[in-house]
Formats: sequence, C-alpha cells, structure tokens
Amino acid sequence: MDKKYKKQDFKTPEGYLDHFTERMRQKLSEEEIHLPEQDGFEVPKDYFENLNEKIVQKIQDNETKVVKLNPYKKYFYAAASIAAVLLVVFGLRLSKEEEFTFGDLANSDLENYLENNDLGLSSYEIAEVVPVEELEINDILENQINDENIIEYLDNTVDDVDELNIEFDEYEQ
Amino acid sequence: MISEETLVQQLKQKETQAQSFEVLINTYKERLYWHIRRIVLDHDDTDDVLQNTFIKVFRNIEGFKGDSKLYSWMYRIATNEALTFLKSKSKKMGLSDVELQDRMIGNLEADVYFEGDAIQLKLQKAIAALPEKQKLVFNMKYFQELKYEEISEILETSVGGLKASYHLAVKKIEASLKED
Repeated sequence: MDKKYKKQDFKTPEGYLDHFTERMRQKLSEEEIHLPEQDGFEVPKDYFENLNEKIVQKIQDNETKVVKLNPYKKYFYAAASIAAVLLVVFGLRLSKEEEFTFGDLANSDLENYLENNDLGLSSYEIAEVVPVEELEINDILENQINDENIIEYLDNTVDDVDELNIEFDEYEQ
Repeated sequence: MISEETLVQQLKQKETQAQSFEVLINTYKERLYWHIRRIVLDHDDTDDVLQNTFIKVFRNIEGFKGDSKLYSWMYRIATNEALTFLKSKSKKMGLSDVELQDRMIGNLEADVYFEGDAIQLKLQKAIAALPEKQKLVFNMKYFQELKYEEISEILETSVGGLKASYHLAVKKIEASLKED
C-alpha cells in the first residue's frame, strides 16, 4: 500500500480494501439493466404464407365497391358547390341591413287587416285601384267555379252545345 | 432481388402489376408486420392494419414519386395506419389514449400470441408509457434494428432528434424496469 496513505489516523475494517474491487464489480453488474432482446410476440402458424392471397382478395373486393360508389361522387361535389354558393349569396344578403318595405308584409297579414277593418271605401273607389282586367271571376266568388262545373251547367241548360262554338279540343282528354 | 426502382416501375404498369405486387408483399410483409405489431400489440389488429397498409400502397403507387425510398414510404403508411387505428379504437371504446394503452397491456397477459415472460411484459409496460415518438423510435431502433438514417427518413425527423429520443426512451425504460 502507498506509504503516504498509511500514515493517516483513520482505520478501515479489516480486509475492506482487499474485497473492494470484487464488491464494486458485483455492484456494477447489479446496476446494469439487461433489456430483453426479444419482445415475446408470436405469430400464428402459416400466417405469412397465406397473407398474399388475403390481401389480393381484399383489393379485388374493394375494387367492386369503389366502382359502385364512384358515380355519386360528382353529384356530391356539385351539390356541395351549389350549397356553398347559396350560402355565400344568402350570407351576404343577410349581412346587409334591410329596410322594411311594403312587399315584406305577408299577404295573409294584409288580407287579415282588410277583413277586420272597415276601410270606408265604396265599390267605385275600390274599382279605381283594383285592376279589373286582371281579375278573374274566381277572385270574387266565394264558391269557386271550375271548368267541370261550367260544362255541367252548359250540358244541363243549353240544348245545342255546338251553337256555343266551343273549341272541343281543349276539353277532350 | 430486383431494385426498388424496377419494382416501382413494374407496379405502375398494368401488365406486371399483379406479379410485382406479390414480390412487394413478400419482401416487406414481415418487416411491416413487426413494425405494426409493436404499435398495436394484438395480432388480429396487426393483421387488419397490415392488409390496409398494402391496399393503400397498391392504390397510391401511381402517385409515388420516388422522392423517398419505397420502403420508407411504406413504413410511413404503416405507421400512420397503425396510429390512426389506435385513435379510432380508443374513440369507439370511449377511452383516452392512456386508458387504451393500459387495456392493451392488460390484454397481453391473456394473449395466446404473447409468449413473453415477466420481464418482457414489464418491458412492454414501460414502452407503452413512453410518448408516441419515443415509443416508435425505441421499437424501430432496438427491436427492428433500423439505422438512424432510415428512421429519420420514415419519421421525417432529424437524426440528432432521433438519437435524443432514443436515449431518453432507454433511460426511462431502464428506470421503469428497476422499479419493483
């Protein structure tokens, strides 16, 4: 042992340094972790042998499916683009501040108002504002008259239908 | 063995497609199987993912430009397929990623295709606890013995980053194996 260390007053247990190397070696081997080289996974027997066939079969199965689905694809895209355009158009419209106009009143609201309020207008006054040319008889009558009613009426009341000069083509089915 | 470029050319031509696809499957099936198996752990799930991987490869070979190597392109597809599979599985089962990993490890003990002993099971638990990237790098480096350059091309990460990830993964696994 080295002389300069021997002079120290401290003592060590007997044989301590003699066994130190051995103990150190043991300690190091304990510290060392041996990761297993294998991970323990297994594969069923013959799995790889039959794999090619399975994959090729699956590709063929998938191909028929793809053909079936394809024709719809373009419609989806078309529908999606139309929807997108509409969304943009309506989105832009909605974002503008709208002025409330007479045209926005629902017809039913107007009818309701006219029915429940006495406007104090005479028939002549109404006739002045309502365009008579565009009116049809059914706009005025409560019981609606249709073509069948008219023909039935004519059948029952007119003796000679030919005299009315009706173009029959229009009524023949 | 034919070169990758020739194989890709043959795969793109209708007349040689079927035959060369078989060559492709035979060449890569085992490597890709083990890559996927170490991610999804269960054999049947691996089988599904592996088949889907080859189908994707077959469908997309037309678009394969050759910017990367064929095998790294296939590995990338396999990795994405496996990770997507796990994500949709956890979603379907209403579990978080961590809960799914726990369940997968739990299932290993009863798995007829897992012959691992206690230490191997412990190793799988330790790997499962790693972040995704470290898990991939550890499996690819330690078990598949891929080179850092190869892993770098597959995962599109720098070699330096991969070395750091692997080092961290090994440290964590060792620490985890020391615990009792």
